[in-house]
Amino acid sequence: MAASNEVNLNESKMVVPLNTWVLISNFKLAYNLLRRPDGTFDRHLAEFLDRKVPANTKPVLGVFSFDVIIDRSTSLLSRIYRSADGEQPQLNIADLEKPVTAEVVPVIIFFHGGSFAHSSANSAIYDTLCRRLVAICKVVVVSVNYRRAPENRYPCAYDDGWAALNWVNSSSWLQSKDSKVHIYLAGDSSGGNIVHHVALRAVESGIEVLGNILLNPMFGGQERTESEKRLDGKYFVTIQDRDWYWRAFLPEGEDRDHPACNPFGPKGNFLEGIKFPKSLVVVASLDLIQDRQLAYVKGLEKAGQKVKLLYLEQATIGFYLLPNNNHFYTVMDEISNFVGSDC
Amino acid sequence: MNKRNRRDISGGAGNGGIRKSDFQSMSSGKAKIWEEEQDAGGGGGVDELLAVLGYKVKCSEMNDVADKLEQLEMVMGAAPNLLCDTVHYNPSDLSGWLQSMLSELNNPPNTLNYRMLQSHHIDDPLHVRAESSSVTTNPQQQQFETTQSARIYDDDSEYDLRAIPGSAAYPQTQDGELNRKRLKTSGGSNSAPPLLPSSSPIVGVAAAGTVSEPTRSIVLVDSHETGVQLVHTLMACAEAVQQDNLKLADALVKRVELLAASQAGAMGKVATYFAEALARRIYKIYPQDCLDASSSDILQMHFYETCPYLKFAHFTANQAILEAFATASKVHVIDFGLKQGMQWPALIQALALRPGGPPAFRLTGIGPPQADNMDALQQVGWKLAQLAEAIGVEFQFRGFVANSLADIDPSMVDVRPDEAVAVNSVFELHPMLARPGAIDKVLSSIKSMKPKIFTIVEQEANHNGPFFVERFNEALHYYSSLFDSLEGSGLVPPTQDLLMSEVYLGEQICNVVASDGADRVERHETLTQWRARMGMAGFEPVHLGSNAFRQASMLLALFAGGNGYRVEENNGCLMLGWHTRPLIATSAWQLIVSDSP
Repeated sequence: MAASNEVNLNESKMVVPLNTWVLISNFKLAYNLLRRPDGTFDRHLAEFLDRKVPANTKPVLGVFSFDVIIDRSTSLLSRIYRSADGEQPQLNIADLEKPVTAEVVPVIIFFHGGSFAHSSANSAIYDTLCRRLVAICKVVVVSVNYRRAPENRYPCAYDDGWAALNWVNSSSWLQSKDSKVHIYLAGDSSGGNIVHHVALRAVESGIEVLGNILLNPMFGGQERTESEKRLDGKYFVTIQDRDWYWRAFLPEGEDRDHPACNPFGPKGNFLEGIKFPKSLVVVASLDLIQDRQLAYVKGLEKAGQKVKLLYLEQATIGFYLLPNNNHFYTVMDEISNFVGSDC
Repeated sequence: MNKRNRRDISGGAGNGGIRKSDFQSMSSGKAKIWEEEQDAGGGGGVDELLAVLGYKVKCSEMNDVADKLEQLEMVMGAAPNLLCDTVHYNPSDLSGWLQSMLSELNNPPNTLNYRMLQSHHIDDPLHVRAESSSVTTNPQQQQFETTQSARIYDDDSEYDLRAIPGSAAYPQTQDGELNRKRLKTSGGSNSAPPLLPSSSPIVGVAAAGTVSEPTRSIVLVDSHETGVQLVHTLMACAEAVQQDNLKLADALVKRVELLAASQAGAMGKVATYFAEALARRIYKIYPQDCLDASSSDILQMHFYETCPYLKFAHFTANQAILEAFATASKVHVIDFGLKQGMQWPALIQALALRPGGPPAFRLTGIGPPQADNMDALQQVGWKLAQLAEAIGVEFQFRGFVANSLADIDPSMVDVRPDEAVAVNSVFELHPMLARPGAIDKVLSSIKSMKPKIFTIVEQEANHNGPFFVERFNEALHYYSSLFDSLEGSGLVPPTQDLLMSEVYLGEQICNVVASDGADRVERHETLTQWRARMGMAGFEPVHLGSNAFRQASMLLALFAGGNGYRVEENNGCLMLGWHTRPLIATSAWQLIVSDSP
């Protein structure tokens, strides 16, 4: 056993820079401390260990942020990131929701990852990622602090995403010159999963979402796929931990073919004939759930939906957390193009 | 071991198909971010990319950190439950955090050592001096409680001794998490008071001093409610005041009052207080010593009841004090602002429940002169003495009246060589910043008391900047969050406690906005600022850990009405805030140990 562990550790170390390896291994270790075999979660320790950063109305590298409580009853908070136009050293409260000035301003509603259980909108890794998104892709980002499992199971995260979508859609200061808010949904891991389901609700209620961006989205299914078996435990992630998170998120008694987990599976719905947003799906070749992610892409294609697959060779989970690899820039470029071409 | 140069992203196992030339074609924006985030420092520097994510790792120790991660991985794989009772400290110091876990795995904590204390000794009643008074109890046989439940003492005074459960008193929680902990009897975080595992690094080394740029953090309620116009007008008024355009300021403040009257909720109330304070400044009606000490104490009591900030302050400071006292047989707490003594019943209870028995406990309480000459300090001392006697803790009290902490002469405090000393300050340090030299004098006095630990709780805000408008704006955001949290407690109709709490905060607002010079005592500064000051004064941090965090979080769930309260860990300190905005910070300090390794 020890021998194969060693092999696993060395393999993952060879494909990512050392500081990336340290970062993701640190999370892996911490998360192991938090998940209990009985399905409960050490939330207090999780919050203690999570590195958080405050919002900051003083622009840093041209980006400022502030928090808004979207729904008091659920304490739903979102962090807004904007470009500071001009050289104002600090923005006043009246400036925060000043109308956007460009002709077209893409607004990305971002759902952070964490397998539905970890992280927050104010986690340092996600605050940093959102800032980079604004700086590179020239967008406004609304990062949603959705409720997490296991305390809040399906469909809480989707409900919160939906509330955020409505809030963004009705915020006049986010409208482009055509008096409409140009909305994109984006998310990594569980956030990617939320993107799909919120987009579905949007279609059903007639709110226009211009595009979905899914970064290593979290999908699953009852059956073990080939990539799961092949990559189990090799690149930071195990089948066992994936199972734990689904058990924590899905309604009690449901299996992984529940449509939340497996949207195009045996209990899922195909999306033929509906006006689903175009999708950009990023899949890392060393992510053990890639078969599920690729199946998702196929499902969209079969339903005649517009989807672009970005398959990244030798990429692991979390590659986008540090800008020290090609994949990071590839993805940022693709996102820029995706939101830049409003078609 | 495969050492990888971070910059070499095209080597090794493939590069995703991007050619080097592609970098040149990237927009300047991307290249700029790449450069600015690359680590400039070589071996001595900290990895910049990880630093931004909250982890301080020196480049030179990256490999070592990786090794530690691998070692822990091996162990955890083989025996996943080994670390479930560990107390964690300062996760930003990744190397330290990993090392402490490794150490714990190599040296498992001792099971409890029950030390039998010496038989009780009787203190001679101290000579009563003109400006101080003391109270002594002579407990009979040493009796200490072994039950795990809280004792509730009937007391017809204003005390609520149940207010903070001692660390022994664990109420039922909704989730099963606590029940699981209760089953363990080792000296982890669930037995009270916690004994330190032998290898636990309770004494943290001073974090690599990165004084970060000040941030301004804002939590807005949805803009429909914010009354943006109201805020805008307030700020414009403050600008006018700073520019001495009093005619304009006058017009604006009247406009604010109008708008505030029709603004529902916390924003309307905050605006009213700020408007009133601005009016005082404009018309030069400077408040006298706003309130006498006893009225101020009463207001603080209401604040104590309404919201968890003070409870959190007391709780976290007590936690640090308890851990510092460990197994000391004589302890002495010097409280810089005794007030109603609300912090101490819980500590006394926790000491009573200490395995091995309680220490002899001396409390020195400092307070301002009282208007009506009643010895308020003495009264508080008596109440505490009664409690201590009832639960079998040997107790002595001495009270000191002082106009300012800077007037305290350390020799007056009678620190004895054989006792463990804790100095405690809850919101008492920032007023020292109103007079030049005062804070240095106070810190110097504290040093000469040779405390084992010095606990500080302060408001997490910078209300002490040199420019009026800047202070005004900071305070507006700070108190908006604070009032919003009071609102969140959902007390409808508002109780007297709630209303008085608002008055309590209103007094602070008045002081920040309308006063100046020596009168302006609400000179709050941030944790970052206090850290710098403490470092320069010769103190180093003592870290608060995951056990204190956990208990504080659980306490919040019990007592707080709104669910917006959040505890946050910050480089070994704990902060309590409303949603994402930290509002108060607890830190603990000790004298820099000159011969540390």
